Amino acid sequence: MGEFKFIGKRTPRRDAEAKATGSLKYTYDLEVPGMLIGRIVRSPYAFADIRRIDVSEAVKIGAVVVTPDDVPQKPYNPRLISIQEATFKDTYILTYKPRYLGEPVAAVAATSEELAQRAAESIRLEFERIYKPILEPLEAMKPDAPRIHERIMKGDRWIEVENNIAARLDYEEGDVEWGFEEADVVVDRTFKTGKRYHMQLEPKAVLVIPEPGGRITIYTTTQSIHNTRILISQLFDIPESRVNVVRVPIGGSFGSSIQTNYLVPIAVALALKAKKPVKIAYTREEDILDHSNFVFHFKIRIGARKEGVFTAAEFTNVLDVGAHQVQPYPLLGTCLGWFVSMYKWRNIRYRGLAVYTNKVPGCALRGYGAPEVQWAVETIVDEIAEKLGIDPIEIRLKNYVGKGDIFWGQGPTVKSVIRSDGVPELLLRGRDIVGWNRRGHPQEKTGRFRRGIGVGRGFHTSGAGGPISGEVIDYTGCILKLNEDGTLDYITALQDHGGGTLDAHVKIIAEELGVPPGLINIASASTETTPYDVCTHASRGTYVGGECARRAAQIVKQKIVEAALRIIGKAVNPEALKIGYDEELKQPVVYIEGSDTKITLAEIARTAWQRNWGTIGAFVTYRATSAPPSFTVYFVEVEVDTWTGKVRPIRVVAGADVGTPINPDMVEGQLHGGFAMAWGMAFTENTVYDQDTGEIMGRGLITDYKILTAADVPAPEEFTVILASTNEPTGPYGAKGLGEAAMNPAVAAILNALYNAIGVRFYELPVTPDKIIEALRERGDLGW
Amino acid sequence: MIVRFTLNNKPVEVDVDPRETLINTLRLRLRVKSVKRGCERGECGSCTVLVNGYPVTSCIMLTIQVNNADVKTVEGLVGDSLFEKLAKSFIESGAVQCGFCTPGILLTAYAGIKQGRIRSAENVKEYIGNLCRCTGYVKIIEAIARVTQEAHE
Repeated sequence: MGEFKFIGKRTPRRDAEAKATGSLKYTYDLEVPGMLIGRIVRSPYAFADIRRIDVSEAVKIGAVVVTPDDVPQKPYNPRLISIQEATFKDTYILTYKPRYLGEPVAAVAATSEELAQRAAESIRLEFERIYKPILEPLEAMKPDAPRIHERIMKGDRWIEVENNIAARLDYEEGDVEWGFEEADVVVDRTFKTGKRYHMQLEPKAVLVIPEPGGRITIYTTTQSIHNTRILISQLFDIPESRVNVVRVPIGGSFGSSIQTNYLVPIAVALALKAKKPVKIAYTREEDILDHSNFVFHFKIRIGARKEGVFTAAEFTNVLDVGAHQVQPYPLLGTCLGWFVSMYKWRNIRYRGLAVYTNKVPGCALRGYGAPEVQWAVETIVDEIAEKLGIDPIEIRLKNYVGKGDIFWGQGPTVKSVIRSDGVPELLLRGRDIVGWNRRGHPQEKTGRFRRGIGVGRGFHTSGAGGPISGEVIDYTGCILKLNEDGTLDYITALQDHGGGTLDAHVKIIAEELGVPPGLINIASASTETTPYDVCTHASRGTYVGGECARRAAQIVKQKIVEAALRIIGKAVNPEALKIGYDEELKQPVVYIEGSDTKITLAEIARTAWQRNWGTIGAFVTYRATSAPPSFTVYFVEVEVDTWTGKVRPIRVVAGADVGTPINPDMVEGQLHGGFAMAWGMAFTENTVYDQDTGEIMGRGLITDYKILTAADVPAPEEFTVILASTNEPTGPYGAKGLGEAAMNPAVAAILNALYNAIGVRFYELPVTPDKIIEALRERGDLGW
Repeated sequence: MIVRFTLNNKPVEVDVDPRETLINTLRLRLRVKSVKRGCERGECGSCTVLVNGYPVTSCIMLTIQVNNADVKTVEGLVGDSLFEKLAKSFIESGAVQCGFCTPGILLTAYAGIKQGRIRSAENVKEYIGNLCRCTGYVKIIEAIARVTQEAHE
């Protein structure tokens, strides 16, 4: 790989100034004349039948009201990433049968927030029956448990729901019984996670503007403008050509808007009825009722021979999906995929069940099951290494799925061969930097403060592409055009959640064309002006979107050269012409090497315009034929206060194999943020439900949902980022994705470090101080 | 109730219900959109504004409390040399990701440095209580520390 001009350089993101000065508008900031404010009426019970909704008071005070009678009553799934035949539909825009506390049952719109709130509060719900909520999947699966759903749709046909099982996926490869017989050591563990909340800083919001002729324009917090359009078109029977969804800057997401959030169709219903623009913005407490993660229950059994080679693995995965499906079915596939792609188990059996409960519907949260699976696997692998007396790094190097192996992180229908692999480099460099050999044994550690060092290794895919079309939709598209003055417009439907995705695309285009990034404009985007892109998710923004942009730039470059040849005339063929930045002219030029002949890009663009040659541009639609793993390795040192049970991070070495880093600042930013989120998952983050009422304890107040503050993270000088010197041949300039890999194995590293400090393993998250104190007390080892 | 205060160096007068919060006055009446609503519980800090130079969460302050006070948001600090240095440091060191928390953190850091409460790189961590979900704070701490060092050199 030669020297790059722009790629790999630290460059400030172009929207940073607008963000720092507060001039960038997010959805909640938008206002249009005559706009009404919408509020949602939610069920106060977790599982009930409503007899009647009395809206008379709300109407009296001038509000526009919608109830289940006013909206299309067809089941839908808000997440349209899977193909239709693999999409499970059980959600209604508004319902008489709420299945979780907080489910939308009616909505109002009025001229002010206060009036809307008054109208919402005036609505009376008469209940036919209130059921005791079912909050645990293992209870919900019992044959005598009440059924949360009776009939749902899979694709376009109705199916019966049995034992509250929303979806299932089983898989078997090899001979598992024989594999366990061959094993010298077998470890069998049960794991359970918390129900985490995304806590993106911007609560979800939407603005719907109805227009004459039956058109509607939608501004909303979404990771996929196109899937939002398709969903609204299908739900309301409006042709896609009359629904325009506009991309708006988004204040973080982390998977919470892969699906179209529930407030979007509600706002559409209100706007269509009111024939006026309607804006709805969740309060923070409503946002917690809109989305949170799944709860993962794992039972994992792994066998290994004494030389440290695995012989068999058995994995039972019970997902608590909450009251509605935001596509847990593909998550059953990815959990299996993450598991299988971690190590060579040789013989495996998997049983995956997605089960309904009366909780907030679970959806993807950064990693789509990978942080959870990798925590469990990396815990057991550490335990096996200890039992066999093998160094944890050695056992990982011996068994991991790496270069040349088949990788299927995104599930059984998304397989590809691994072509770049920085695992050995990251493990060995990280080991030296963290000082692995000074970690000692937990038995040797005494006193109030005890330190431990742990390792976690994992990955995430870059997108969900592959050589064969499977159950997951994954393709993108873009337009790149040369303007009449030699600048360029880049048009894509991809979103930037904050990670700098679109800036990365600009650098890739600049590199390919040989023009400064400043000449390339990231155009505003909406569904009617962009080719389809499935969603900015699955760490595919840079890898899939970036390669699409590069291909467009390649075409544009060729057309520029052809136009230049028409002007210059004397070169033998287009290949004799090069594009480069002319330091004297301070602009890009097309030139003939070894000659004085050159022409500026601006002149080419102007000539093409003035002589009616037409626009120089490209329209590309692209599907990646691979979904390569970005490997990450975390080494973490923690300190445990055995008096209080508090744990703090001392040192972090985050290693990432992202192939070619497009912007090291953004790469580091993902790792810093990923670590902080992992720490929250390990120790603090959970939404706990009242077992009698099904209400989130603390009523979902943010004050009870603890994410890290600046005071809790390691000092910047104690956070080291190392990047593998790899190159991904299928990625743009060798790049892979990172957003999720940046977090995935960090939880495992943190909890392996906790074990190294105090000699206790925890199998249920989050590991709160009381659990640590209790474990130490049981052992009679409180340090005082 | 008539409330008069200075907003970004200009006198303003609003007629508000005594229950109205400062964030709503700023966002809905005076169209100052840099003040972000993240929680309305005084927890996240996205709605931070400076009142007489002190950072406060405007979602739990009543507008009537700022009668005769000096209120500043990032819009009013454009051109201020310390603020520009901070903003530049954030932009150049990758401390801005989704940007939703950025105006609030910049104001908190600005007040901290200005009032001498942030004295060194070490106490940046303790001083900044605003929440950020993207950055893990590392680059934010570095960006503030860089300006703190310069300010005290």
